Order: sequence, then C-alpha cells, then structure tokens
Amino acid sequence: MAHRDELLLSDSCTLDHDGCITCSDAGIPVRVVSVEGDDALCEDGAGDRAEIAVELVAPVLVGEVLLTHGGVAIGKVTAQEEVPQ
Amino acid sequence: MKYVDEFRNAELARAVSSEINSLVDPDRRYKIMEICGGHTHTIYRHGIKDLLPEGVELVHGPGCPVCVLPMGRVDEGIAIAERPEVIFTCFGDMMRVPGSKGNLQEVKAQGADIRMVYSPLDALRIARENPDREVVFYAIGFETTAPSTALTLQRAKKEGIENFSVFCNHVTIVPPVRALLDSPDLRLDAFVGPGHVSTVIGCRPYEFMPEDYGKPVAVAGFEPLDLLQSILMVMRQLDEGRCEVENQYGRAVPWEGNLRALESLAEVFELRPYFEWRGLGFVSQSALKLSEAYADFDAEVRYSSPGVRVADPKACQCGEVLKGVLKPPECRVFGTACTPESPLGALMVSSEGACAAYYNFGRKSYEKVEIGSRR
Repeated sequence: MAHRDELLLSDSCTLDHDGCITCSDAGIPVRVVSVEGDDALCEDGAGDRAEIAVELVAPVLVGEVLLTHGGVAIGKVTAQEEVPQ
Repeated sequence: MKYVDEFRNAELARAVSSEINSLVDPDRRYKIMEICGGHTHTIYRHGIKDLLPEGVELVHGPGCPVCVLPMGRVDEGIAIAERPEVIFTCFGDMMRVPGSKGNLQEVKAQGADIRMVYSPLDALRIARENPDREVVFYAIGFETTAPSTALTLQRAKKEGIENFSVFCNHVTIVPPVRALLDSPDLRLDAFVGPGHVSTVIGCRPYEFMPEDYGKPVAVAGFEPLDLLQSILMVMRQLDEGRCEVENQYGRAVPWEGNLRALESLAEVFELRPYFEWRGLGFVSQSALKLSEAYADFDAEVRYSSPGVRVADPKACQCGEVLKGVLKPPECRVFGTACTPESPLGALMVSSEGACAAYYNFGRKSYEKVEIGSRR
C-alpha cells in the first residue's frame, strides 16, 4: 500500500466506496500495478486492487496515477509541483 | 510529487480563507454555485462553509445525476427489471432511488433479478456468462461516467454480444447550467466548475459562462483547499473586474479534456432533442441516447419504453433545492419524512445529494438558525 496519501486526491474515494460511482462526478485515483493489453491492475489509496480498462488513456505505465470511474480510466493525474496561490 | 498533502494543509487553508475575507465588500452578498455534488459533499464534510465570511454564500448546483433523474425514468427502469427474461444491473445508489411505486431494491425483494455492479464492464461480463438471459445496464451519470458506458458498448459491439443492452440516462452538464443562468429565480455571481467532468470535457465548454453571462468560473478539485482556492480565484476575478474560466485542478484537468474519451462518446451517443430534469423540467439537448450505430444495444428500443412522466410527491421540494432556491433544511420534509434511511426525494438518497450531505455533516449547525424558516 505504497504512496497512500498521494492517491487520496479525491476526498475519500476508494474502489470500495461505491457511493461515488453512482454520483458520478467523483473519480477514484489509483496507481497502475501491472498492464495487460487494454486492462491494468490498479491499486487505490486503501490498498484495494481492481482491473481497470485503460484504452481511453493509453499508453499507461506501471506506477502512473490514473483517475478512474466505473472501472474505466478517464484521465491521468500529474504531480502538481506548486499549490496555486 | 504533490497530489494531496498540500491540499489539506490547515495553515494554507487559513491563509486562503483570510484572503477571501479581505476581498469581501461588506455592502455586498456573493452567491457562488458549486455545480458538482461531489463539491457539496466536500464542503460539508470538511466544514468549508465555516471558513467563509458571512457575505459569501455557497449555492448547491444540479451536479448529482441521481438527484436530477425524474421519477418516470426510475419507473421505466423498474418496468424493464420486472421482465422475467431480464437480468437488470445498476450502480449501488440507484437501487434506493424512489419511483412512483417503489424502488429497485423492493422489486428485487419481490423476486426480480437485479444485480448491483461496480462498472458497466461487470454488466457486460454477466451478459457473457448468461447467454440465455437478457442483461440490461441502467446507465446514469454526467460526462465522468458516460465514457465507461461508451467503452463497454464498444467492447460489446466488437465481441458481437447480442444479449446486452443499455437503458441510457446519461446527462450533460452544460445545458442545465445554461438553464440555471437563464432562470429568473436565481442570481448567481460566480461558479465553481466540476472537477472530474472536466477531466473528460476540459475547460473550454464553460467559456460561454463568462462570455455570454458575465460569470467567472474556476474548475476545482475535491480537496478542501481545492475548494477554498477556487472560491478565492472567482472572488479575485470579481474584485478585479475580470471574468474568465480558470483551472484550479490542473493536476487532473487538461484544458482540452480527454480527446480519446470524447471521440468514444461521439461514436456511441448522440444528443437527445430534450430530456426531463427534476427541478428544471425539460432541457433541450441535455442528455445522451445511443447513436444509430449502437441502436441494437438500446434498451429503450428493445423494450419499447413509453417515456412516462410522473410528478414528484407533493411534499417533496427536491426541485427547489436543486435549483438552489431552497437550502435543504428549508424543505418541509427534511429530516422528518425524508431521511437517508427512508428517502422521499433523490437528494436524500445519493451520498452527493445536497440533502444527504446536510443531513450527515451539516445538519446540527443549521438546526439552530434555519429550522424556523422552513416553508
């Protein structure tokens, strides 16, 4: 469960918290553990893992942080070097 | 690598709060709408409201797809779910959204085969595993969720899976915002734009808000400091007489959005001429249906859904709350006939619904000041 804090960018959303799924504007940040074709095994901030479809953000690399929703990655999360002032 | 620590930094939050305070004109009230239900949730969960000066009021917008779904669409889903050949699949919260004669959970208890899924891809897997049954997915959500439905349908088509269809209730965020801006009920000064919808559609679609209506916008993330900073951004715009779309959530929102996701949406969906929204009525070009190329997967066609319209229960004031005209505690049934355990209206069902957020995180502080103002 590495880098847990880095993944909690979206309030408390995790793969196990299905309330966010239906409500639909809260994506879940996950880190890519391994990639196989159009799917990637990903881990969330709580350490839970799920297979995520990654066609819409391909190519993805192990270690990248993706924003997922409904089992599909919709964006990549980039590190923000500075907090906007 | 900075993703979140800085966005929960109390010292920074106090500094931002203090700067917002310094920008307030004491003779003026500022009404800022957070469009997204996820933001409403963050505001109450983290007590953002208490960090804002009295003259700055946050108004909750229509950005919770469960909450804006009219009752007729729930009834139509239930009618499909009751068919014996159907395995009906949906996200968790949909199970409890009230239709005119009950909800999906109650229909399931009466024997219908209704299964909660985490992803439409799970529904497609169920279809693969049950070739002798018809599997229907109840699709709901803004542009954040629509790509997952689109991708699932693209995979279904590619694999030639014929026993899978989608009952499509996807909606788009821009038309209801325009409807709100045109509404005489509400005078808003600025907007906090939805974060994850914008991951898909980018920031450009909001440009009409400053250009046509003179309203500043800041697209925001979901951490407490994200919200505060976006409020500061629009307050600065108001103070300096600027009016534009700014992106506070650059770490997850590219200005142009996700072009591949947008291509996928364009292939699978087309705009409906109009769609009914709870509280807003019929809004033109505000929802998606399956395109001609995917018509074979359209559950509305497959099961000849009649398009029924059902009025909300008389006591329910979700419509006024959705438009920001009433605060949740001002609804006559808030916390009494309508609670998260036994919701009368959809705003109390969804965890991002404004009423559920108030009930769970903000209710006590409101009881003192607002209980007497219920209408």
